[in-house]
Amino acid sequence: MDWRWDFTFEVVMPRMIEAAGVTAWATVASFCLALVGGLILMLLKQHRSVWISRPTTEFIEFIRATPLLVQIFFLFFLLPDFGITLPPLTTGILAIAIYNSALCAEVYRAGFEAVPRGQWEACVALNISTYRTFRDIIIPQSLPPIIPALGNYFVAIFKETPLLSFVAVAEIMQISKLIGAEYYRFTEAVTIAGIFFLVMSLIAAFMIRQVENFVKHRIVR
Amino acid sequence: MTDFAIQFDKVCKAYDDLDVLTDLDFAVRKGEVVTIMGPSGSGKTTVLRVLMTLEEIQDGVILVQDEPLNKMYKNGDLVDADKAHVRKIRSKIGMVFQNFNLFPHMTALGNCIEAPMYTKGLSKQEASEEAMKLLAMVGLADKANQYPSQLSGGQQQRVAIARSLCMHPEILLFDEPTSALDPEMVGEVLKVIRDLADSGRYTILLVTHQMGFAKEVSDRVCFIDGGKIVEENIPSEIFENPKTERLQQFLSKVLEAR
Amino acid sequence: MKPRIAILAALGAFIVGLSVATFAELKLFLPPILRGAVVTLQISFWSWLLFVSLSCIAGLGRWQRNLLVRWTATVYIEVFRGTSLLVILFWLFFVLPEFGIIMSPFVAGVLGVGLNFGAYGAEVVRGALTAVPKGQREAAIALNIKPRNFVVRILFPQAIAIMVPGMVNLTIEMIKATALVSAITLVDITYASVQQNQLYFRTLEIFTIALLLYYCFAQFVRFGGAALEEYFTRHLAKRR
Repeated sequence: MDWRWDFTFEVVMPRMIEAAGVTAWATVASFCLALVGGLILMLLKQHRSVWISRPTTEFIEFIRATPLLVQIFFLFFLLPDFGITLPPLTTGILAIAIYNSALCAEVYRAGFEAVPRGQWEACVALNISTYRTFRDIIIPQSLPPIIPALGNYFVAIFKETPLLSFVAVAEIMQISKLIGAEYYRFTEAVTIAGIFFLVMSLIAAFMIRQVENFVKHRIVR
Repeated sequence: MTDFAIQFDKVCKAYDDLDVLTDLDFAVRKGEVVTIMGPSGSGKTTVLRVLMTLEEIQDGVILVQDEPLNKMYKNGDLVDADKAHVRKIRSKIGMVFQNFNLFPHMTALGNCIEAPMYTKGLSKQEASEEAMKLLAMVGLADKANQYPSQLSGGQQQRVAIARSLCMHPEILLFDEPTSALDPEMVGEVLKVIRDLADSGRYTILLVTHQMGFAKEVSDRVCFIDGGKIVEENIPSEIFENPKTERLQQFLSKVLEAR
Repeated sequence: MKPRIAILAALGAFIVGLSVATFAELKLFLPPILRGAVVTLQISFWSWLLFVSLSCIAGLGRWQRNLLVRWTATVYIEVFRGTSLLVILFWLFFVLPEFGIIMSPFVAGVLGVGLNFGAYGAEVVRGALTAVPKGQREAAIALNIKPRNFVVRILFPQAIAIMVPGMVNLTIEMIKATALVSAITLVDITYASVQQNQLYFRTLEIFTIALLLYYCFAQFVRFGGAALEEYFTRHLAKRR
């Protein structure tokens, strides 16, 4: 078996580029939802009432200990039972977002806990309001650990989007599978999918490092 | 054979562009106890580290008991030392570190017998017997089976001293042995060092900020600054009659801090 | 982390309740799912062996001074971390046969998961090796300890203690990731659940059982990992 360039350019590439759009949309949408979801989960987990914080903690633990793929199937097959019919892409984005919310909640928590207690105490001693304490003291100091970690989750989400092919979302992996089935050759499509993910991850990793350095030097000197 | 244990001849050492030792000439006689002091960044610790082959020197010669440390004679020519030569020279030197550097996953006894067993090939029993003697000497026979994390800083440093003695060095290097200790533990470590100095069996090179101890225990004090020896003399002269301006400044600053 | 016994008990009660409620059909769909669980465990076991060995080899490789060794390890790590596991599985199972290399779904699954997680584990191993304080090496030099003995008797025991938590987390991630082998026709928990769901349409029960099975595996690993961590850090006991 050899590599066929004409097949690559005429059949594979056009469809892959289209599919890359779906992958990109799924990644960005899931990431944005997870950022907000993570914040909500973190706040619920820190809630004063044990009846709210405890179940949240267990929910986060459960989500983190079970495979995303099964969660996707769960939502995909279960939501229609409750009369909620969503397109597979939306269901998939929702599942990825919930899964990563649980992970992001931990990132936020770790970030805030990384700010030394003395900073809070100093703010109290200086009589700074809670709002300004957060805005001017706590958040700027917790960003350096949080931002790179969130960047890593962005890349992780990107690499999780192929799971959507299990519920027939027309993203990169699904398209390469379809091309393979249609033409009885997988080499070009699957290899290009692999290279696509590799190159994008490497670029993303490089950018995260840049941001990390920027944040380190700009926000906390 | 000369009478010298250690000789530095025009030794140069630099980290990248930063010169640490510049043409350092320095010698220690056998059995002598020499204290090196100086401001931070003066290169005093580096003197010990290059002797222990933890750092390489760029230029000059270091002789340990008349044998070059980083060179060796082969068929009459002076060539770069091979591993066996370096190991032979190293076996004459023991070092005690500021942060003890005990092996945290081994007991006090385990720390002491590790090198005798795996480097010298002693049996576990031989090594343990000797190690127990040395642990008793530093007053820690009852702590032999404790892990470093279960010992106080002063006890850890005493284990570290016993550990280096287990390899029978002739030259002992102490790199700020009490700097990482709480004040109340300094005394117990200094006592052990004093005993070693008084025994007269070891050539001792000591870097310390404990002026009183240096004065009392050393045969000679070297004041080092900018990678060079600025002044050296017997302790009483150094502390009571400093000749150079830099030493006078240094001493007044140190005494002010008291 | 201590085992969440209370939670497990509650979940156990939930399963019992569930099984009573759906007893008739449970008899039909539970055995195939449990057969899937055996497949998941088998894949996890072999992948784990591969993943840990690759982690050590590549982690040590990255830590070596020899440029060729270091670069090989780096390329392996970047390639298998950078591509998605599903792509790797597809590549092994659908593309390699086109080049005449045919392997069973099981072998492809173990290879894919192992290669992917070995790349992540290599970074854990390398991190642990660099986390051992520099003073340990200096003390070994001062005691004239041979480099080989230093690595085996001083560096490794300390590095292993440091890497245990990271490896435990990766092991849990790896068990979760074995769900993807359903893509290459292996009937593990996930695939068995999808099949049974198509037959009986008891989505809630079937997928709850599937999720609980994975959750139990994860808790089991966490519990074992905690015991392992305690064993390796026993010498760090606080002063009385």
